[in-house]
Amino acid sequence: MVGHSRNWPVIAGLGLISIPLLVMYIYLFVDTVTDSPAGSVLPNRFTLEHWRFLTEGIEGKGNIWKVTLNTAIFASVTTTVVLLVSSMAGYALSRLNVPMRRYFLAGVLMLHAFPSVTLIIAIFLILQMVGLYNTLIGVILVKSTLELPLGIWIMKGFYDTVPWEIEMAGIVDGASRFRVWRSLVLPQVQPGIVALGVFSFLAGWSEYVLPQVLAPSSNVQVLSVYLASLIADDQHFDFNLFKSVGMFYIIPVIILYIFFQNKLMNIYGGGIKG
Amino acid sequence: MSVSARLGILFLAPALIFVTLFFFAPVVLTGVFSFTNMSTATGITGGAYQVTSNVLRQLADEGFEKSTLDRLGAKSYVVSAQALVVATTEGVVDKAVLVELESKHLGKTYQSRRDFERFLKKLKNRPRSTRDLKKISPYFRASLMGQRFESEEVLFAMLASLDLGLPDPQMRHVARASYTGWVWGTGNFKRMFSLGDNLRVLRNTGIYVVATLLLFNTGFALVLAIATFYLPGRHSAFFRGLWLLPRITPPVLYVLLWKWLAWDTGFINTILANFDIQSRNWMLDTGANAWLFVVLINGFVGASMGMIIFASAIKAIPQTMLHASEVDGANRWQQIRHIILPQIKWPIMFITVYQTLSLLTSFEYIWLSTDGGPGTSTEVWALAAFHAALDNYWGNLQYGYGAALALVLVVIGVVMSLIYLRLFNFDALITRPRIEQ
Repeated sequence: MVGHSRNWPVIAGLGLISIPLLVMYIYLFVDTVTDSPAGSVLPNRFTLEHWRFLTEGIEGKGNIWKVTLNTAIFASVTTTVVLLVSSMAGYALSRLNVPMRRYFLAGVLMLHAFPSVTLIIAIFLILQMVGLYNTLIGVILVKSTLELPLGIWIMKGFYDTVPWEIEMAGIVDGASRFRVWRSLVLPQVQPGIVALGVFSFLAGWSEYVLPQVLAPSSNVQVLSVYLASLIADDQHFDFNLFKSVGMFYIIPVIILYIFFQNKLMNIYGGGIKG
Repeated sequence: MSVSARLGILFLAPALIFVTLFFFAPVVLTGVFSFTNMSTATGITGGAYQVTSNVLRQLADEGFEKSTLDRLGAKSYVVSAQALVVATTEGVVDKAVLVELESKHLGKTYQSRRDFERFLKKLKNRPRSTRDLKKISPYFRASLMGQRFESEEVLFAMLASLDLGLPDPQMRHVARASYTGWVWGTGNFKRMFSLGDNLRVLRNTGIYVVATLLLFNTGFALVLAIATFYLPGRHSAFFRGLWLLPRITPPVLYVLLWKWLAWDTGFINTILANFDIQSRNWMLDTGANAWLFVVLINGFVGASMGMIIFASAIKAIPQTMLHASEVDGANRWQQIRHIILPQIKWPIMFITVYQTLSLLTSFEYIWLSTDGGPGTSTEVWALAAFHAALDNYWGNLQYGYGAALALVLVVIGVVMSLIYLRLFNFDALITRPRIEQ
């Protein structure tokens, strides 16, 4: 079916459209470790000075390590909440005789499609009213909630594939439904938990709108907000520096992506099988 | 209730609490806020009553009599019980005077400081020095202007003490005009429909959604999925990996890369300088260029989701169908046209619905790249709502008006997620639990 000789026009066409991406991502790396003479795109000098921000910081900006710590806390607490809540709710929707199960499931699907970003104004006002504005807790609660519909949907899908026989065996042995879930079913859906965990962590790590709007103050700043404020600042205009900070920011993402690529693919496709 | 049902409710409870607080509540409150005039100026909690020169001007426009307004605005001096208490506790003024004022002159009103002080001089227990006498008057100043009244009752009491003889409805009118907090009203919607700018924003939104969707989120996504299906494994993995990069890159960094490409000192200009083309900001110099970049930036991210879904749908097409068509002498184009496209009709529909909704409401990439500029040429509806309520140059954030703009999107969101729900074979998703206890 595959005629190799006919592939080159397709490759050339795709390659042509992909040029911006190739250029952007190659130079993202190259520009962090080299200098180019003015008016040229070809680097002529290897240097590590663009990475000095890691030890010396950037004038007028917060401590990069504090910001990184905030980002890690934000992403990992969000992930924990999403995993905990979705693995419980997903199980209830997949296996338990909850009244109105049908409607709960429809609700999850609807929320999954619902564009949560439209709610940002109301969420901003709610956080102001309850006093969680400008706190990490506030953004974590909001981000976790907005991730929940996808999380529940994915966990439900994984629970659906667990054979009933496993649970029945547990029940026959006299274990409670909770025990069965905890020690027999959860280990079965471990791949789902890993996939959802990695996805939530990356989503939290990359999030920009929520922390920027709901917690802009400098002591709860995360990396996305830090980088954006760096770019917005006209005082130090230096693409090599921006890219180095950006590279620092994206390293964990790339590592996780390389290791969990296949698991993530299912979720990036909207979490819908088929 | 069975054990299973009870455990189920317990298991759902945390999710329900979260979703109620930060999903349902915001949906409802977007509607509620859109019927208020909340802004930075009014605050979001309560307000107070304050008669200012602006309020007087407004009342004059609304037909209040000039004499009434003059008295509202005048500085008057009243011997009131309240002022006496304050003066007594602060103890700056000689007690005897205060006692005399309280016993004989309670309620007297003077129109100016001079009149009041002339009256004070005639008192039996008046202070010796003029300096001490002058210390008394500030306590009794009773001008409405600039004073803050925490409740309507206090304001009414004050109005009554001024002896204006205002009828009740007019008093309430003054209260309404001088209220600094937010009030209910449909003003946001009137403004939304009457503002000419919004028509432009609406048109922008249409261009943005249709162009990005057709060119990239379904269009180029299809090209990528089909092309990588026919390409040998190595090449197809490369292109799929490359086109997934924008999706995994944090938005701030991704847009930074485009800025590096397009801005004054960026890559495009450096290349073009060799051809003597004047350097400029390609992202923001003209409306057309701004649109090009807005569509490219969003499209390069959006293409990957369609690509993944279409690719897996194409992989699911029975190989025998494709083989059979080749035996019949169909070329690739005919194969795509008559087998692949009809087979992935549903995924295409699904992506179109899903992406329309997400493009319609997303503003993150536009905010980061052009921020609606130059001027308002790339301002879309979701960004306009965001700008009005949370991020504008004038500093007065109009929460109510922003909420009204957002409400339009929320309603569209609800309707379209219902359509989305219909796209699923919903009954197939629900298997009855087999353990009934």
